[in-house]
Formats: sequence, C-alpha cells, structure tokens
Amino acid sequence: MAQTFIEILRRALDEELARDARVHLLGEDVAAGGAFGVTRGLAQKHGAQRVRNTPISEAAITGLAIGAALGGLRPVLEIMFIDFATLAMDALVNQAAKYRYMSGGQLAVPLVVRTQSGAAGGAAAQHSQSLEAWFIHVPGLVVVAPSSPVEAYGLLKSAIRLGEPVLFIEHKRLYTMREELAEGPADERELPAIGRARIARAGSDLTLIAWSAMTGTALEAAAALAVEGIAAEVIDLRTLLPLDMDTIAASVGRTHRVLIAQEAVTNGGVGAELAARIGAELFDELDAPVERVGCPFAPIPFSPALERALLPGSAALAAAARELLGVPARAGAGGR
Amino acid sequence: MARVAVEIPKVGLVMETVRVLRWLRQPGDTIAAGEPLLEVETEKSTVEIESTASGRLQEILAPVDTELQVGDRVAWVETDAAQPAAAAPPAPALTPPAAATPTMPPAVRQEARARGALEGLAARVRATPYARRLAAERGLGLHGIRGSGPGGRIESRDLPPPAAAAGGEPLAPMRRALARAMSLSNATVPQFTVERSFDCSAVQALRVEHARGTAGSPPLSINDFLLQAIARTLIEQPELNATFAGDAGSANARLVRASGAHIGLVVAVDGGLLVPVIHDAEKAGLIELARRRQACVRRALEGKLRGEELEGATFSLSNLGQRGPDRFTALINPPQSAILAVGRQRDCVVASGGGFELRPQSVLTLSVDHRVADGRAAALFVARLVEILEGRDWNFSA
Repeated sequence: MAQTFIEILRRALDEELARDARVHLLGEDVAAGGAFGVTRGLAQKHGAQRVRNTPISEAAITGLAIGAALGGLRPVLEIMFIDFATLAMDALVNQAAKYRYMSGGQLAVPLVVRTQSGAAGGAAAQHSQSLEAWFIHVPGLVVVAPSSPVEAYGLLKSAIRLGEPVLFIEHKRLYTMREELAEGPADERELPAIGRARIARAGSDLTLIAWSAMTGTALEAAAALAVEGIAAEVIDLRTLLPLDMDTIAASVGRTHRVLIAQEAVTNGGVGAELAARIGAELFDELDAPVERVGCPFAPIPFSPALERALLPGSAALAAAARELLGVPARAGAGGR
Repeated sequence: MARVAVEIPKVGLVMETVRVLRWLRQPGDTIAAGEPLLEVETEKSTVEIESTASGRLQEILAPVDTELQVGDRVAWVETDAAQPAAAAPPAPALTPPAAATPTMPPAVRQEARARGALEGLAARVRATPYARRLAAERGLGLHGIRGSGPGGRIESRDLPPPAAAAGGEPLAPMRRALARAMSLSNATVPQFTVERSFDCSAVQALRVEHARGTAGSPPLSINDFLLQAIARTLIEQPELNATFAGDAGSANARLVRASGAHIGLVVAVDGGLLVPVIHDAEKAGLIELARRRQACVRRALEGKLRGEELEGATFSLSNLGQRGPDRFTALINPPQSAILAVGRQRDCVVASGGGFELRPQSVLTLSVDHRVADGRAAALFVARLVEILEGRDWNFSA
C-alpha cells in the first residue's frame, strides 16, 4: 500500500531506533509526534528516554544534540522549519561543522538535523523559505534534500549511518506525496550513497538539474516537453553538499545544455554554485549558457494566490527549456 | 616580435609524407619549444610533432587531414624575440605543397597581414564552447557558418554533420596506417617471390643442445637462427640490403644502402601488426638476438615501442609459427626491399641416397622489390640462407 512521505519517514526512524541503540530523537514536541506527526507513536514504542521533547530554543537544543553526538550517541534532531535554523546557526556552523577538523579527527559529530523547508500554501514569509544555500557554504556540513518518500527513506537511513553532521531538508509540499515501499527494512547495500545524484529521467536534448520538491516539477516539465519532441534529462541531486559533479558531467556530456530548477530565490542559490562549476569544469561541453529558474527575489507571500504566482512551476521550466533550445514558445503557454 | 615557422621534421629514416590527425593547440595558445603541437600519421605510426619555438601559436597552416611532405610548414609561432632584420619570414604559403612557394615582396606582405588582423577583429566569431570544440575536432573553420543561436551565435547544430562514411566502421589509426602501407606496397612496389624449403633438423638439434647445456640463458627460437642467418646473408650479399627511393621513372631514383643488417620482425598485436626492428643484427650472437627479440615482442604487445624502434629496416621476417600455413607469401613493408615468409615445420618425404627419408622441412618464401634486385640475386640469397640454416656454423654469444 502506498504510504505518505510522513509515514515513510516514521518508518525509517522506527527502523533506525530499533537497529541502533545510539539513535535518539530530539525536538520540539517529538514525543507527541512533532508539528507534522512524523514521530507519532515512536515514544510509546521506543521509550521517552530515546524520543525526547525539548524546550523551544533552537540554539539550546542544537547544542544539546551536538553534545550528545560528541558523547557517542547518534541523535536525530528535528528543527521545525528551516526558517528557524537561523537560530541554531552558531551551533551548526561554528560547532557541529568544526569539531572533526579542529580536533584533528579525534572527534566526530554523527548528527542528523531534520528540518522542513519550502512553500506549501499560506505558511507566509517566515515559514516558507528555501534556505539550503546558506549551508552549502560551510565546510564540514553535509546537506541532503530528498525528492520523494522512497528517496527520503533511503537517504535518511544513509544520513543517520554516515557519522557526519547532516542537514536533512524535507519539503513540506512532499509530506502528503504517496509512494509504495517494499515491506521490511531495506538492505544496507540498497541504501543510496550520500553524495551521489540520480538520473530521474533520461534524455538527450538538455539536462534539467533539480532537488527536493523541484525534482517532481522538473519531471512534469520533462513530460510536457517530451510531447513536443524535446528529450529532457532530469537529475535529482539528492545531496547538495557535496555536489555530484561526475553525474552532472556525464549528463552534460550527452546534452550540452543545462537548466537548473530551484524553489529558492535565484540570487546566490545552489543553482549559482552549480552554474559556476559547470561553466568552469564543463566549458567545452556547453552549447548554450547555463540557465536558472527560481523564485523572484522577494519574500514568499501569505496569500495563496500570490504564492502560486511566485513559485516556479513546470510551465516556467518548460518555457525556459524551449528558450535554451531555441525552440519557439508555444501559443498560450504563459503560466508558471 | 618574430614569427617562426614550424615544419614537419623527418621522423625516422624514410618518412616522406604525413597526414595531420589533430591539432593539440589552437591559435592564441602559448606554447614552449619541445611541447607537442600536433599529431600526424606517418606510414608507420602516429607521431606528435613538437613546436620548435616558444611563444604564441599564431596561425595553423595545415588543417586536419592535410597531406604534408617532410619540410612543409604547418604553423606560425610568434616569439618574443626581436625579428631579425635580414631574414624576413617567407610568406605562409602551404598549397601547393610541392610547387615553389611564390614570394611576396615584404611590403605587400606586411600590408596583407595588417589587413588580415583587422578583419579578424571585426569578424570575431560568436560560437558556443561546445561548437568550437566540435569544429576543432572535425577540422572545420567557423568563419562562414551561420549561427542559429541568440545574436547569430554558432551552436553545435549549425556545424555540417561529420563526414560519416555510409555504414561500416572507421579504421583505428594502426589499421589505417597498415591499410595505407600495404596499398602502397601492392600499388607501387613490383614484387616477385622465390622459394626454397630447408631441413630444420640441424637447427632443432642445436636448440635442444642449447636448452640442456645452458641454464639461465633464454631458450632459443627458430626465429633467432633465422635472424642470424638473414643478417649474415645480408652482409655477405648486400644487394638486397638497400631501399629504393625516389620516383622509379625519374632521374632521382636511387638505392640507399643500409649501414648494417637491420631486420624487422613482424609481430601480430591486437588490431593489427607491428614491425619492431632489430638493428645491427649481424653483430649479435644467438643469445643476444633471443634477448632482443623477446624484449621487442614484449614491447610491441604492450604498445610501448618508440618511433626509432620501428625504423631503418631493409628486410623483414614473418613467421606465422607452427599453427601457421605450410607456406605463404608476404607483402613487402615499404620502404623495405624484401620480406621472408616462413612456413610451418612438417615432416616431409625427401630423396636421400637413392632412397627416401622423412625430414622436418620448412618452406621459405622470399618477396623481393624488383627495383632493388633481380631473380638471380634473390635465388643466391635464399640458397645461402638455406646453407647457413642447415649447417652448424653459428655464433652463440658474440
């Protein structure tokens, strides 16, 4: 039976709690299930000792989680909304990301910080942002952003087992997405490797690079383009830090054109880093400038109608792809 | 500033023409003397041609696929050195390659060059990096191609499609070089063959004796005996030890005598064959020949032969071994003048003292360039070869 993103995340956490006694869940209200119900029932099953409610102080609880990780546990901390990760910046950037380096490898911070990002309909400017770019700027962190329930299942397990500080970004719009997942815990060998992207759809005319919820949008755009005879390849990055340039290089070597799709504002985003590296490392493969589609440089509005108008959708991606290929725009194709 | 011309040097003894395979640098690139500038294909192999000057590659005069003669000019390199006043550079004319280069008066040349530079500035070609790379790989110029991208930018789709041969697969460089050499051989070298069989029992007995008596030294192959016998015969009867040069019908036709017995050994490798040369074979004993044979076969199989190891032979030895045919005829490998094809050994009934006897025999088929030698010389050559091979006069360790 198909399960939602939330149910599949819960299953992954449940299995990891059962597999490794060092795994603990921390966060605001997690014992009762958290703001989205991801951890519902886990406190009853694994005990209040291992699924702990924390005070509402992101700085304090991130520090607590880092301390637990340094002490040998494998905490999974939930920060309700990436918007509030701003309150935990010192702990994440100056502590979690630095211990391995500053201790000369004697210390490690095997910590996963789960957090929600993205606009999901009327959550307003303080609860809708896509702030992943801030974290790919920090050596010592790993940043993962799954694109579907099944992807999230494998990537969360891999992140917990990685032994490094991982920011695990869950898109709120994906939470109700349903997918089938085979019964029983996945074999370790089947788990996706952190740092490897995947080809979500093969194509030869251009490469669409996306991550998180935009992967689905990119796949929609690719399906629309296919009707017009344009074969778009869609790369789901999965990991934003480190970037899998090998997969990107192989794809660009086939298509010679790149469109990057992100929900974050275009300015200073992950797409900027991708475009720069593709321009420098794959210069001789490019048959057109690397293009980006993202949010206009504005806060996400509360009004659902305005929010929809702002977010880049599959029509905007398809239009950018056509432009990149020099194909005339279709009559009536003006929406986002 | 001075301009220095890079010319095709003579690689090996007999290289006459080469074909440009690809340019390793593009105009505008800086290059140091000794750094590889382009790759050309000779009759034998693919060779990198190095720049003879340091500076900026100013102009490529020979696009990919151009056939060139030794001494032809292929590029201009602009150096930092002051231009010598006396020796003004000659005009960068390449075609026709053989004809005398028409010379422009220096003043006209200066003006022409200045005009070219201005045109270059005005007509800066807008093309994507991928289109530029493809054009370079296909040896195409971008001038004159209409770009379909924004502002007339040339994209990969604007380039003419690669000249794909209808169906079939293109030849690998070694196959292509072989095809060219063998076509040249069959089309331009008048070849005749003479044949003799020889009794292998003396050589076989010596091989067994050697294997018993000398632990540590390499086992001797029939090829080592053949190499020594050929080397000795080439020195004793030098008529075949030469190469034909020039045009057969013209006054420049000539024979170039070899300095020693330089013998090519045909080695089958993946995708073709290579002919490493054992130089001055007449000076080596059998044990030394065995060592050198093993080394060059190994290097041939590993693809590690250097250019000079493939050059200088007048004569080749081709032995297809015990699983080979009873006899065969080999094509001469130009510019060599002869090749000996060795058939497998087998017991044959031979007349002996009024009766019959079974003896191990092998047929030697010698192909000879008729421009270099005639039937009588070839017959004497093979007769002497058989005499040595059936005798016991061998030099084991010179």
